[in-house]
Formats: sequence, C-alpha cells, structure tokens
Amino acid sequence: ANRGGKQKKGNVTSEQEEEEQPLQAVLVADSFNRRFFPISKDQPRALLPLGNVAMIDYTLEFLTSTGVQETFVFCCWMSNKIKDHLLKSKWCRPTSPNVVHIITSDLYRSLGDVLRDVDAKNLVRNDFILVYGDVVSNIDVSQALQEHRHRRKVDKNISVMTMVFKESSPGHKSRCEEDDVIVAMDSKSKRVLHYQKTQGLKKLQFPMNIFQHGSDEFEIRHDLLDCHISICSPQVAELFTDNFDYQTRNDFVRGILVNEEILGNQIHLYVTQDGYGARVSNLQMYDSVSSDMVRRWVYPLTPEANFTDQQGQGCTHSRHNVYRGAEVSLGHGSQMEENVLIGRDTSIGANCHISNSVIGNNCTIGDNVVLDRAHMWNNVHISSNVEIHQSVVCDGAVVKEAVRLNKQCVLAYNVVIGPNLSLPEGTVVSMHHPEEEEEDDDDEFLSDDQEVGHTFNPAEVGPEGKGYIWKASMNDTEDEELAQCLWGRPLSKQNVCKVVSFQLEVLGTLQRGLEENIVCDNLVLEINSLKYAYNITLKEVMQILTRVVLEYPFQQQGTQLTTLQYTGSLLPLLKTWSPVFKNYIKRAQDHLDCLSAVEELFLEQDTHQTAMVKVLMKMYQLEILEEEAILKWFSTGATNDKSRQLRKNQGLQKFIQWLKEAEDESSEEGE
Amino acid sequence: MELQAVLMAAGGGSRMMDLTYNTPKPLLPVGNKPLIWYPLNLLERVGFEEVIVITTKEVQKMISTDPKVKLDVKMKLDLVCIQEDADMGTADALRHIQQKVKTDVLVVSCDLITDAALHEVVDLFRAHNATLSMLMSKAHEFTETVPGQKGKKKTGEQRDFVGVDGTGKRLLFMANEADLDEGVVIRKSIMRKHPRMHIKTGLVDAHLYCLKKSVVDFLADNKSISSIRGELVPYLVRKQFSKSTNSPKVIDETHQNLKKNDSNVNLEIQISSRDEELLHLTQERSCWNDHRGDMSDAYHGGRLRCYVHIMDEGICYRVNTLAAYIEANRLAPKLFDEPAVHPSAVVSERCLIGADSIIGASCQISDKTSIKRSTIGVSTTVREKVKVTNSIIMHGVTIEEGCNIQGSVICSNAVIGRGADIKYCLVGSAQRIEPDALPFETLLRPPCLRSTLTPTSTHRSTHTQCLFKQLNRNNTCLC
Repeated sequence: ANRGGKQKKGNVTSEQEEEEQPLQAVLVADSFNRRFFPISKDQPRALLPLGNVAMIDYTLEFLTSTGVQETFVFCCWMSNKIKDHLLKSKWCRPTSPNVVHIITSDLYRSLGDVLRDVDAKNLVRNDFILVYGDVVSNIDVSQALQEHRHRRKVDKNISVMTMVFKESSPGHKSRCEEDDVIVAMDSKSKRVLHYQKTQGLKKLQFPMNIFQHGSDEFEIRHDLLDCHISICSPQVAELFTDNFDYQTRNDFVRGILVNEEILGNQIHLYVTQDGYGARVSNLQMYDSVSSDMVRRWVYPLTPEANFTDQQGQGCTHSRHNVYRGAEVSLGHGSQMEENVLIGRDTSIGANCHISNSVIGNNCTIGDNVVLDRAHMWNNVHISSNVEIHQSVVCDGAVVKEAVRLNKQCVLAYNVVIGPNLSLPEGTVVSMHHPEEEEEDDDDEFLSDDQEVGHTFNPAEVGPEGKGYIWKASMNDTEDEELAQCLWGRPLSKQNVCKVVSFQLEVLGTLQRGLEENIVCDNLVLEINSLKYAYNITLKEVMQILTRVVLEYPFQQQGTQLTTLQYTGSLLPLLKTWSPVFKNYIKRAQDHLDCLSAVEELFLEQDTHQTAMVKVLMKMYQLEILEEEAILKWFSTGATNDKSRQLRKNQGLQKFIQWLKEAEDESSEEGE
Repeated sequence: MELQAVLMAAGGGSRMMDLTYNTPKPLLPVGNKPLIWYPLNLLERVGFEEVIVITTKEVQKMISTDPKVKLDVKMKLDLVCIQEDADMGTADALRHIQQKVKTDVLVVSCDLITDAALHEVVDLFRAHNATLSMLMSKAHEFTETVPGQKGKKKTGEQRDFVGVDGTGKRLLFMANEADLDEGVVIRKSIMRKHPRMHIKTGLVDAHLYCLKKSVVDFLADNKSISSIRGELVPYLVRKQFSKSTNSPKVIDETHQNLKKNDSNVNLEIQISSRDEELLHLTQERSCWNDHRGDMSDAYHGGRLRCYVHIMDEGICYRVNTLAAYIEANRLAPKLFDEPAVHPSAVVSERCLIGADSIIGASCQISDKTSIKRSTIGVSTTVREKVKVTNSIIMHGVTIEEGCNIQGSVICSNAVIGRGADIKYCLVGSAQRIEPDALPFETLLRPPCLRSTLTPTSTHRSTHTQCLFKQLNRNNTCLC
C-alpha cells in the first residue's frame, strides 16, 4: 500500500467511495427459455408461486438480506405482470431498504442482451450481484463479496467474477442432471480453471494447459450445486458488450477461461457449506426446492414468516411441518401427515390423506382425496376420490371425480380433467393447443380461437375435460422435447444418436448392396450422401465403415460364431467390398485410422483376436492397406496395456515379421 | 504373520552412473552406512524379523565378504539373487519370488530413506481391506549445488498427476504428464462416486507398497507387467472402477473365458480372499460407510481399492540421482543417534570438526584440518591443513596436505594430491589427482572431474567445458 502520495490519495478516495456506494444487484426476471411452457405461457416464471409466494419475492428477499440497496429488475416476457406484482409488493413501498428499479424491454433475448443494456445505460458503478428471478437462497454472500473485493484490490482487477456454489454431493435431490457441472479449480487461490456442464458426457476431459499455472494442487469438483448467484465486477457488463456473441453466463465463463491468457481475466468461486441456494430451472427443481422450503432448509425464509408482508398470508406452523393459513377447514378424518402447507380459505373434505404437499389459497378439496408431493396453486378445485402424486396443478384447474394423476403430471391454468380418468406419468395438459401460433400471447383471444379451431379430446382429458395434451404436438419436435424435459429429464444424446443411426444406415446399405448385387461405386455414392445427411466426418465414416464390415458376420449369424466361422464368412465380404474401402482409404492417416478401428473392434471382441491377423492379411492382399501403414501402426499405435497385449499375439507378430522380410526383399530387388 | 517384507535391491542406479560405476547402488555409503541399511532399519524398527532381499550376485558377494559393508541388522535376511543382465523389472522380481510369498507383502525399494511412520500405510491397508496402499511424500527441493550439473534445476521434467479423494487417502487417478496428450480424462462415474478429487503434482513416490497376495498371484499369471510403479500400480488404480471387477457375475464369465482360451491376455485379478464372505456380511450389517452424500453401499460396492498415504512433513528421499544422494548425506546424521566421530577414528586435537559432520571408523585426521558439513568415510586419511566443506568423502580416500575440497563427492580409494583445490567436483573411485594440479579458483563453474565414461549429455557439456578451460594438460580430466 506504500505507493506515491498521489496514488495513495486516490486509493483513499476510492475506498471511501466503495464504502459509500450502495451494493447493487441485477435481477434477471426472465429465463430466456421455454422450459416451463406451457405454464409460463400464462404467467412468467418469476411469478410462479413456490410455497404460495412468487419466486421473485424470494430472490428479492435474499438480495435485501445480504445487504443489497439497489436492484435493477430486468423483464421481458410478460413484463407488465411482473411490474404490477412488484409495484404492489413491499419492495416498492417508500420504507423498502432495497430500491427496486424495473427496466422492461421486449428486445432482450438473452442474459447477454441484459448485461449489454446494463453497460449501455451505465447502471452499475461497482461490484454487483447477478441473479435470476427464480433463485431461492439464504446464503449470506457478504463473505464472498469481501473475498471478491480483496482479490480485486490485490490483483488489480484481474478477477472479474466470483461464482457462488453450494456443496452438495451428486445424487442429492436438489441437483438435477441438467444443471450438473464439473469445476476444476486451483486449491489455493480458488480460481476456476475449467467449468463444464456434464449432462450427456461420459468422460470428462480437462486440457493440460489448465494444470500449468505453477500450482501443484488442483481440485476437480463434482459436488457443487450452481446457485446461479454471481458477484460481478463492472467489467463483466463491458465484456458482454465487447463480445456480442456471449449470450449466457456459460458463454461468458467459457470465453473468459479460454481467453484467460489473452485478456488476463480470471474467475473465482466461493463455496458455501451451510447456506441454501438453488435455481428453479425446471419442474424437478421446483419440486425439490418447494419441499426444501416446507422442510425449513431455507430458514429464515419459511412459509409462516410472511416475509412478503402481505395481509392474510400469515399461517401457523405446527409439528411435522404442517402449516395452515387463515380460515382453513379440515373435514372429519382427514390427515395432514407431514410437510404440508395449506393456504388461506381452503377447505378440505373428509378422510383425506395429505403429505409433502403445498396447497394454495381458495382451494376446495373433496372427500377421500390422496395428495402426495402435490403442488396445487390457487383456486384449484379437487373433487372427491382423487389421487395426485408428484404433480403440479396450476391456478383455476378443476379435477373431477375419481381422477388419478400419476407422477410428473402438469395441469396448466384453467384445465378441467375427468371424471374417471387416470393420467399416465408425465402428462402435461394445457388450455393452449400445441399447434397454436407462438406469437399469440393474448389469452382471451386464444381461448376464443381454440373453441373455433380445435375440440377437446375426451379420451385424453375425460368426458367433461377441457384442455389439450401438450406434448402430443404433431409437427414441432422441439416442443415435444421440451415438454418431455419439463421435469428435468436429460435431453436426448443427439451426437451419439447421430453416429449410431449413421452406422445402422451404412449397415443397411451394405446389406442391400449384397442382396441386390449393387455395384460398389453406387454403394460409395450412397454412403457419401449419408455422410452429408448425418454430418459425419470422413474419419468417422471410415471407422464406422470398418466396424460395420467387421461386425457383419456377427450381425448376420449371431455372436456365438467360432473364430473359424467368423473369418470364413468375413474374408469373401472383404473382397467384395474392397473398392468401397479403397475409395475412403487414401492418405497415410486414413490407413492408420482404419487400422485403429480394426484394433478397437478386436479389442472388444477379444475372443476372436486370432482372426485379426487373417483380416489384416486379407486387407493387405487386397491392397486396401499398405505395409508401411501396418508396420507403423504396429510399432507406434499402442496406447494402452490392452493394445500392447494385442500386439504380442503370436500370429500378428509372425505377420509383421513376414511383412518386414517382404519389404527387405522388395527393396533388395529394387536395388 | 500378517505381512512379508520384500526389499528390492537389484536396481543398477542408472540415473547416477557416476557413483554406481564401481559400487552397486544398494551399497553406496550414505552417512557412512550402505544405502540398503536405511530401508532394512526402517523395517526392523517396526518389528519385522525376516525380510526377503532381491538383489544381484555382486551385491550378495560384497555383503558377505566385504568387511566395510556391515549391515548391522538383526533381522534374518533371505537373499534372492536375480540375473543382472536379464533386465528384470520390479514386478518381474516379485513374480520371481512368488513361491516364497505366503501372505500379503510390503515391498520396499532399497533407495528409500525416510522417517515415515510405516503403520500409517499399513493401517490404510488393514482398515479398508485394500488391494494396494502406498506411500508418497511432498517433493523436496534440492538445495545443494550438484557437481556436473549446469543450472539449478532441470526444467520441463514430466510431472506425475496423482488424484486422491476428499479425504486424501483413496487413490483415484494416476498418470504421467507424458501420457496425457489429450488432457486429463476422468470418467463421470468416478466423479459421481468421489465428487471431490484433489489432483496433486509435485509428489514423490516412495516406492513402498503394501500389496495383497492375490496381486502377486495375478502377476504370476500376467507376465506382460514388468514394473510395479510403471505398470502394475496404474493398472490397479484404473481397475478400481472397471465394471468387471465390481460385479461378481462378470468375473465368473471372464474366468470361464479364460479357461476356454488360455492365450487370452485379459486376465482379471481375483480379489476375493478367504474371509471375503465374512467381511461382506459385516459390511452389510454395519451402518459404517466410507463416504457421505449418497445412499449407496460402502465403497460403492467396489472390491478393489487403492490407497495412498501422503506425508506432509518428515524426511522422505529416494536416492536415485546424484542430487538426492548429496541431499541424503546431508540429512543422514539427523536420522540416527550415533556419535559423529567414530570411536576408532584417530582425530588430532588441533583440528576443527563441525557438529554436522560424520567421521567414519579408523579414519586419520591430522592437524590444522577443518571439516564442515561433510561425511568422511571409513579408513580415510586426511593430512595437515586440509579444508573440507559440504563434501562427501567415501571409503579409503587419501587427502594430502593443504587440499581444499568444497561441495564435491570423492569416491572410494581416490587419492587427492598435495595442495589440490577442488570445488563442486565428482572424483571417481581410485582416481589420482596430481599434486598442485588444479588451480581451480579461477573457475566459476568447474564441474569437471569425472572418472567414468558415461555418454550422458551432462558429460558432453562438461567435456567441452574442460577443453575450453584447457585442463586436459594435467591429464586428470577423464572425460
């Protein structure tokens, strides 16, 4: 700190400024995705009730309690509703310690747009907290904030962001596969070296350059839950402006880490052990966060605390975590077992069984109803003899007599179901027809339109039902995928599928070629067109082709072939298809790729390893493979124990020996 | 008997050829004791009564005949010789003595000097019914200047990456930088089981392993593995998470395959032991678990487990380079309580001997001599007005009057002529340095004297340096 007098003075003033300046936060009240469709067609995600309180209220309460004095709320989708909600809430009262500015624009399409706007409007002057409007947390980030500021002071603004994580092991129910991340960090400086989403990955790869930072201890952590709370320097907004292709925080983090050496910016992390922080990113998370809330993990944000300070929201807390609002009536013989929250003016009939559920305001529930892990919002009407398991029932929905909702069902706004119906697992019912135009946002208009255009299917929603099965969309595959993963199931593994289906196609092509005696040139044409259709690289084509051909006998005659039978049926095939091979195997690298594909296959089929020599021999004789390539492959290609073992195969060694001798002879002849 | 100790003492010391040219590595004097004494003493201290020593004929002969090599241990030594020229690795050696192995084994390398608490390693082995447990230590920086080595440290050395779990005990990952072209690749399933992995570099493997007997049997069946450190340990570490070792069904299948096909190379380790069933039952009935966070069984049902004990402090050296040899000599006096000056040494009263020096048996130290931070070997004669600092003088060396020796290593039976001035040199065994031969004060970096002809790069560089300085006229540089 002993610098020149001038600088010292400057430092002092900036420190004073720091202290004087209020802590700011940027709250993004839009998810910029459609994970909550069709629910979020009628209500923005930030306003969906969780424990009978809108999610954005949790976020604002978290920010206020952590010391934020000025919050900018950015809204895009249904911004009017959010604005109305906030204006009515305690945050816009003159006594609020946290001044909330609402900024709306229809032009925001991503987090990047929001932060670019922050930069353009010059809203933040200092380090700020960046959160989404669907984060529920009680973490005290002041410690993280202190660490962040300290780092920035010491390292002259190198650290631009501190991400807040919560420790929770894999398999913990507040983690969903979709949001799983793997983080490589420097143990001492807590610097993030590598950050990756792990969904759909089997192997996690860490480039070597991240281990070359002079430190000798690194940590790879898979036990972190991303709270989606980040402490950002004002530079973050500038960086988003500079890099107009950054859309999400993920883009940003990856960009910073990759360009670390060029830009010199770093990202750090802060791990909390005892706080609670999670983002409601899909319905699975909604389910677990809601139950955590009722089980008081987010203390002091509990249902009976009525932190939103609204009249009539108060409720009582009795043992087994049963909460009751005002004017709740409970019929004779009904049981509220545990972890139940019931809103005001709700009446429940006789002999009901309710556990682990949240019921909103003004609901009516009939007799003999079983609710387990049900999330019912306001003004829901449930008739008698209904059973609901792990499902979400939105405002105004009506469930008629003897309906059963199996796991992971969703009844969106104003849907009517039943009577006498059992909805299969994962059904999503909405008043919006899946085919309806996306631009039509207006509710009233839509419902008119529906009655004209479509009719409800009684087989789907029951004889008196109103609504459409959402996922049964006919043409829009994207929507279908989204509907299926509304509950947070993994997306289909597209890349793997691509290769597998390409392999099947190649197999089909070859099969047909054999049956119909198609000329090899045409086979090549066909495979080439498949290559473009599936967007496969040439290398992959060759590997897959090799694999398909070598597996062909197994494919046709089953896997119980003896080695002799196998070679017997394979060798003629190789001869037939040798022009196809020759077409793809031209450069030296192609030869090696092909050989490694052969090797890979025989490593898998280890009982047939003796056949490998014969295959190689045949391929050599057919001039598919050159001897130099084989020799090179033999001498250098061994990368692991198994392949080294493979090379010790006697037959193979003899073959190589023979090749070498043949080479010597031919070179002698040449001389 | 719970553990059998096996000492590997057949290595040639290929990384310090200058020293091992005449003396085999196990018998190099460190603090006036042969190197092999240190691991033997380590084993004796913890109560081993018998040890199998795998070594070469040469070493065996010297141990039994050479009076200067006094092992000074009460344990029963079972010397097993292997052929020197057979190029056997440590795993080969273990396979060689398979018949003698009746229980689990503790394998120690002869170049290990440590004050580690051995029970830490063995306790890990016992507590977790581990297949392998090993010892590692934080790497030490060598501070002393090394003769014949230019620059402070060889940069660009390949690091070992060692991955341990959150407790720092379970060994999850092991690879050398050289094999990591594509970066560190870890399967997600491993991360799910052990969500917090510490990747450490800068560790020294002490080459001390507890191994299950089944591993030795596995080696006997699987002849392609020749080195414990290079092949067996990485194999076992990887195998911990392979599916086939963890589900008993698959093991049966592979074994059937094996019977059918003897040439099959994919041998599996049989991990089950006699008490396996009982252990399994205890595990089932107890509520103990090795991890938190999820609800799966202890060890996630895995049957093969590798552990490592990483020393935070204390001494742990592997004497396999010249630098390590010098460092070990400097530290050796701290390891045992023996008088610095051997009772049988004849030391003149008018000489100065620093407290951190060791004088061997039957030495003769004359007047006006000063010895600081040095080791003087057995039967060495030091004449008047000699100054020895920071040096290692082996057995039977004669140092004539007025010599000045600094930061050097003088091997056995060398003779240093009158008034020689030697700084940072390595003098090979039985070499003669002519009197007044070396006006070395002018040299800034004179690592020059070498006796052995080893075609190493350091050799070549020193050679050119010698030519440059025109020291060849004395015919002492034998580059």
